[in-house]
Amino acid sequence: MNNESISLQIRGGATCYSVPIGPVHPALKEPIRFEFNLDGERIVGVDIKPGFAHRGIEYMGMRRNLIKVLYLAERICGICSISHPLALTQAVENAAGIEVPPRAQYIRAIIGELERIHSHLLWAGVGAHELGFDTLLHLTWKVREKSMDLLEQLTGNRVDYAIPIFSGVRRDIPDEKAHLAYEALDYYRGLLDKMIDAYLHDKSVEMRTRNVGVLSYDDAIALCAVGPTARASGVKKDVRQDMPYLAYADMEIKAITPEDFGTEPIGDVYDNIIVRLLEVAQSIEIIEYCLENMPKGELMSIPKIPALLAALKKAEGEGIGRHEAPRGEVFHYVRLEEGIEEPVVWKVKAPTYNNLMAWIPKFMGEEIADIPIIAASIDPCVCCMDRVHLVDRGGEPSVKVKDELVRLSREKTRRICG
Amino acid sequence: MIPEEILASFRDAFGERIVNERTIERKVGTVEPRSVYDVWIEVDRETLHDAVEHLCRHFNPHLSVISGDDLGEKVAFNYHFATGWGERYGEATFTIRTFVPKDDFRVPTITDLLPGAQTSEREKIEFFGLTVDGIPDDRNLFLPEDMTIHPWRKDLEEETSKEVRRTVKWEGRDE
Repeated sequence: MNNESISLQIRGGATCYSVPIGPVHPALKEPIRFEFNLDGERIVGVDIKPGFAHRGIEYMGMRRNLIKVLYLAERICGICSISHPLALTQAVENAAGIEVPPRAQYIRAIIGELERIHSHLLWAGVGAHELGFDTLLHLTWKVREKSMDLLEQLTGNRVDYAIPIFSGVRRDIPDEKAHLAYEALDYYRGLLDKMIDAYLHDKSVEMRTRNVGVLSYDDAIALCAVGPTARASGVKKDVRQDMPYLAYADMEIKAITPEDFGTEPIGDVYDNIIVRLLEVAQSIEIIEYCLENMPKGELMSIPKIPALLAALKKAEGEGIGRHEAPRGEVFHYVRLEEGIEEPVVWKVKAPTYNNLMAWIPKFMGEEIADIPIIAASIDPCVCCMDRVHLVDRGGEPSVKVKDELVRLSREKTRRICG
Repeated sequence: MIPEEILASFRDAFGERIVNERTIERKVGTVEPRSVYDVWIEVDRETLHDAVEHLCRHFNPHLSVISGDDLGEKVAFNYHFATGWGERYGEATFTIRTFVPKDDFRVPTITDLLPGAQTSEREKIEFFGLTVDGIPDDRNLFLPEDMTIHPWRKDLEEETSKEVRRTVKWEGRDE
């Protein structure tokens, strides 16, 4: 794939229609604008405009002390509300050389995996809804409640769990609560086969998702795609496997691709469903391992908050924190200077930021009716990616010509149509 | 991947043009601790494109993001790559840093090597006012199309706060 073919600026030929979708549209769950160029029913070009939920979070974060930044990071996204704190705490701990006690590492991983279960089930429900299969949506979201309830029982909150803090975790998972977790795991284990049957062995789901919204292996790598979006294309990339951290370093974790389901990776929407459902099973195993092998000990290596703040203020250096969120790699970079409470630099990278470009080859050559399910297939988390509030002043966006892309996209259309 | 392997390859290819190389070793795992590595190198702007090309040719990198750090006279741009993915403990982060003076505020694009870098480069254009030579699309991505402020530039702080106050007022949130 060359550079010309994936510019975000595209326009079709003279017979093309331009159809804007978003920033507010029933097919989208979050504000983002697509401008599609259509040749009949076929998509021949797409211009993507994110930023409608830009809130200036990094700008704000660089103006307050690190503990406050942690609260802010937790509120970047309501679904990944532990992914950002996990990446931020690791970045700061790496920069400041702070150790995390083993028990805290296990608790962080348990909450992280519970979040993956509820996020993937949320996505599966949205996917079913986009296909017009609302019975399945209701079933999926009903079973998702179990993980939300468990999160509430373990942390006190359904979202924004406030578990990680620099140097450890804020709350223990006591042994007397472990049975709640085991109960939820058994519940999901019993359901998983039914879910796989309902999604992957259903003729209409298969017809609507097989070979729709394809992201090839090479495109996934060239466009730096992450998470289930990349893994559905057969890219065996998962931070938990590639560069283990926290309790994940004690486990044999393997990136899940459609091969684990016994099919060749195509990178279409169907493969996205396979990967996410199998990852729910993987998360169940991880949580079980963590519960069984959780070491005893302290929760924070610097338990007193004033001492922690003082240690952070003294710290000098830079650090990278990465976490495999439900949607892919979350990346935080911080640079700390001695004597300054605020992070001098804080850069947040959410998974949808990387997967944004992956939308373009996925949309090309597909039909208008497939737009909602393809848009949903990368499990976009727009508020994560935008991070700042943005005002549209009603200016007409200019759409520029990229004949090369049109040519390539038409070639692809012909290829698909045979 | 052993970071020494990457660094040796870069030393062979670029020699003196690679400076301040650092490998940070971290122990992970509570049962049998193993090492993971963060590698940092610095290159000048003229070498940046060649360095990324070398990385793309031999090490199949993933670009996480490009971060920027306003240091006053110049801005440091950190190209955060990761290489060696696909196997357990196979990956190391690999950050290429380059300093760009504000009076000649431009870098070459790397989208010709790694098309996925476009999102991150466009973000640097709008948030720092950087010029990226050769980028196929330099419109604002996250900020409104007619917004000309650069929020992450510390010397332009005053204009940014003015714009933030104006926006807040425009939205009626200033009470």
